[in-house]
Amino acid sequence: MNEHLDGDAAVLGVAAADDRRELYTLSGVTKVYGRGDSEVLALRGVDLTVGLGEFVAVVGPSGSGKSTLLQLLGGLDRPTAGAIAFEGRDLAGLADSELTALRLQAIGFVFQQFNLIPTLTARENVEAALAPTGLARREREQRALRLLADVGLAERSNHLPSQLSGGEQQRVAIARALANEPRVLLADEPTGNLDTRTGEEVLALVERLSHERALTVILVTHDPRVAARAARTVRMRDGQVATNAS
Amino acid sequence: MFYVRYALAELRRRKARTLLTALVLATGVGLVVAVTALSRGLDEAQERVLEPLTGVGTDITVTRPLRLDSSSGGSGGPSQLSEVEQRRLEAENGDQRLGLTGLGQPGERFRRDRFLSAQLSYPENTAQAVAAIAGVQAVARELTLNVMRVSGTVPTASEQGGGVIRRGFGAGAGGGPPRTIAFTGFTVTGLDTANPALGLVTPSQVRKGRYFRGASPREALLADSYANRKKLAVGDKVKVGSRTFRIVGIVTSPLGGRGSDIYLPLAQLQGISGRKGRVNTLRVRAASADRVATVGSAIESKLDGAEVTTAADLAKRVSGSLVDARNLAHNLGVVLAVVAIASAFAIAVLLTLSGVNKRVRELGTLKAIGWPRRLLVRQVVGESLAQSALGGVVGAVLGIAAAALVAALAPDLTASTGRMQTAGSAGAAPPGPGPQFGPPGPFGQGAVAPLTRSVSLSAPVDPQLVALAVVLALAGGALAGIVGGNRAGRLRPAEALRSVE
Repeated sequence: MNEHLDGDAAVLGVAAADDRRELYTLSGVTKVYGRGDSEVLALRGVDLTVGLGEFVAVVGPSGSGKSTLLQLLGGLDRPTAGAIAFEGRDLAGLADSELTALRLQAIGFVFQQFNLIPTLTARENVEAALAPTGLARREREQRALRLLADVGLAERSNHLPSQLSGGEQQRVAIARALANEPRVLLADEPTGNLDTRTGEEVLALVERLSHERALTVILVTHDPRVAARAARTVRMRDGQVATNAS
Repeated sequence: MFYVRYALAELRRRKARTLLTALVLATGVGLVVAVTALSRGLDEAQERVLEPLTGVGTDITVTRPLRLDSSSGGSGGPSQLSEVEQRRLEAENGDQRLGLTGLGQPGERFRRDRFLSAQLSYPENTAQAVAAIAGVQAVARELTLNVMRVSGTVPTASEQGGGVIRRGFGAGAGGGPPRTIAFTGFTVTGLDTANPALGLVTPSQVRKGRYFRGASPREALLADSYANRKKLAVGDKVKVGSRTFRIVGIVTSPLGGRGSDIYLPLAQLQGISGRKGRVNTLRVRAASADRVATVGSAIESKLDGAEVTTAADLAKRVSGSLVDARNLAHNLGVVLAVVAIASAFAIAVLLTLSGVNKRVRELGTLKAIGWPRRLLVRQVVGESLAQSALGGVVGAVLGIAAAALVAALAPDLTASTGRMQTAGSAGAAPPGPGPQFGPPGPFGQGAVAPLTRSVSLSAPVDPQLVALAVVLALAGGALAGIVGGNRAGRLRPAEALRSVE
């Protein structure tokens, strides 16, 4: 796969994580939004480690800093203070283009609102994650179809998101997140917009794929039943890790 | 290709915005095409109108006008001349008093022609000096004079008054001529028969009969308007001064009324007017069009008091609805086109920015899943280019349609030239058709009338212009795309994902 990555990815030279036990190491991570009177302290000195292949649930009330933590782990934002090491590399030291390449190669995202591109079919939405890698059209299409088959949507590949149910859309989003064989899947309330049964199905799919691919999963949720499926639960409160238990 | 499919899908999804942006650019492009086509049509119309003026092969006309005294008022009569110029004019034309003695016995009929020049003259060999100027290809000599014809019956002693008739310029007090004497006037030009293609009248302007044969035969050409008025035709005879000439051709008057009533070989006119070896107009052809200005300047500096008139100067003297429309197209039209295209660009940029703002979450998602900035910029630019290409094509069609509409309606425009200020005629001639004499007399050619020509307007569309217009639209699209794409590229993914569409 990596031989198809474009220039930024090649420059990054992401290290294989096989020989490392810890995928993430967070030390004193603080995130502040706004300035002056409007300043909001979203994270306050968070220390956390996530091991390779772990399934971690991050829970907590609204405003506790769960989503902020997830965005920092995904390289979508930078901490105000502290350090986040991914596979031993400090994300704060990476340029924007390097962070972009890292997200392309190593991190998969699943969002509560699915965030599919409405004008593209299911297959094209998966292809959207493969397009920057420079894969040939045929290979890109075949891989997208294979991923859709993995999530049980082989027959729905030519449907637009608006023609798919919520569960199907989230499965397309999971296929897209896994397109570049990431080392970690970051999911923000992946079942939040689904009914219980569909949510269970999506969760089961995530579990299966993480086992099959030795994938690290970090999942933010409000739902205790979802959290119960994880091997470890990190409970957030007021921007801090309240409990961190297996 | 994925990116193309994505771009087209986006344009289809946001149909209204796509069409609006394309329409805005189309309007700008259409206006540019239509205005430019109209402007070009007006240029061509003017060229057609000016052809009789400029197509005779003369690039430069050299005269030696009298200088008016700007401190005095009046309508251009000799009283406006400085004393020096009045003396020069007197010297040029001699004593214009016509003594009644010697005309014959009282009651006898008489006819006398007096030749008056509206300008100062040069020695004939000045033409050789001009011909020696670098860039001059050919020079033709010319002499144009007003003829004051006094005719009637010799008055009796009681009718004679002071015994002297003085009309034309410098008419003094004295109560005017006796009633038995009439004054008429016409203009006559002596043509350089050695350079028939370079002159006020050329062989191509002969409508009936033929041009002169030989060096200086006793032949005359008549302007068609004068021939009609006097009911003269080819084969008839006309008397000028002391000589009689056979009419060998009828010529069309060039636009602008610059023509004379009668044309004679130069030597003949010089002989009968007592101006042997003198000319008052030189017609010069430059070696190339781009040397006209240089040659004109050289002539002005070489010849004392010379006034140089080029074809471009003549063009400025054309008036009428054609010129009004052309000026409108060149001034307001160009401004309108520039404003339209600039506005179209600005609106396209704003619409693209607005489109990016509406897609913040989508574009933020693409950033989150690893799309680099350059790909996002390229995507937005590509979409913008696609819709601008549509706008360019629609605009070109609109422009062509507008031009075709103008051609279909083909409104007639008129181009008029008043009395040309040739040969130093600084004053305006009095209105009214037909031969005239009297004030301002020598300051206008007198016998000329303004001409008006009507031309149908067309708006030819140049394929290169259409291509340019489409390129212009694409440039507008590229500009909008780059601005919008950079906005998209600068999105912070975390903030973009928090936005609600």
